[in-house]
Amino acid sequence: MGIRLIIAYIFMGGAIFFAIVTTIGLIRFPDVYTRIHASAVVLTISAVMLSFGVAIYVWEFYLSIKIMFVGLIFLITNPLATHAIARASYRRKIACPEVRSVDDYSKYLGRDRE
Amino acid sequence: MSKAKHIFVVIVLSLLGITMVINLNKIPGNTDQINFIYSHITNNAVLETGSLNFVTAILYDYRAYDSLGESTIIFGAVSGIVLLLSRKTLPVSSHGLSFIVKRTFGMLTPFIFLFSLYIISHGHLSPGGGFQGGVILGAISIIFSIVYGSEFDFKRYSPTTKTLLETGGALLFIGLGLAGIIFGGYFLENLRFLNTEIGSLLSAGSIPLINTVIGFKIGAGLAIIFYSMIQKTFKEEDKL
Repeated sequence: MGIRLIIAYIFMGGAIFFAIVTTIGLIRFPDVYTRIHASAVVLTISAVMLSFGVAIYVWEFYLSIKIMFVGLIFLITNPLATHAIARASYRRKIACPEVRSVDDYSKYLGRDRE
Repeated sequence: MSKAKHIFVVIVLSLLGITMVINLNKIPGNTDQINFIYSHITNNAVLETGSLNFVTAILYDYRAYDSLGESTIIFGAVSGIVLLLSRKTLPVSSHGLSFIVKRTFGMLTPFIFLFSLYIISHGHLSPGGGFQGGVILGAISIIFSIVYGSEFDFKRYSPTTKTLLETGGALLFIGLGLAGIIFGGYFLENLRFLNTEIGSLLSAGSIPLINTVIGFKIGAGLAIIFYSMIQKTFKEEDKL
């Protein structure tokens, strides 16, 4: 087994670890926003690391470039969808607590309307 | 009353199930005729149609008349949905989502369009074809109305353009069939004027043409369905 395969397996193993962390976070966290936080941060890292690992494992130029593009699409669209869902649920006041100490996003939302 | 209704529904469903089971047994199994068709298509489809994708060869060459029927079904569905839903009001925002989503989709939408064109134009070489690429084309209009607001969709890709694309696609499909009668012998015959080497982009006769026509027709039809659901809300928000 060459050094290249070992690096690829390390990347894939990291991806599996972060996927397991995602699942635990989705089950254990209490409300919408913390669950979105868990799925977003961790699933983005997991998908990108998995595509890196597969690209190193395959190690042909055009095939690796295509797999890296798939990872790039994940890197762009996944935080985007998370942002849209979190913002929509904040504006619809889903699972907002009654008493809060800091709330910067409501001030920000007034400027971003148009 | 509702209990009698439940019992009636259960009786009707069980009768339907029994008749289906009885009639499914009468479908011929592994007979000589089916084996003949199977072996004929697997042996001769590439040479007869020039298409590497067997599914596309069957859909747009051997059974192209069925595809005409399917696209007519979608045409009827679009007409019915426009007739039924154009008076309902649904809450859809007219100024779209936030700045981040708008910028990112500004980068991503050209690639979605390119991908749909790739699936449509390579339908005779790889998996895909007119229907699949057309659905992705319809998704672009949905992205316009959700992310940028329905006013943007109305200005950039107006309902007149959608109607022109859909009816034009249907008319061109029937025109290709009539051209098959004129130049060949029967309806929707494969016109063999794009016959370069098998496996290249401009091959397989009229299959890429039918793919393109059906793709734009399906994309415009799905866009019309989505637009007819949010049409009224856009006009009401305009007054406020």
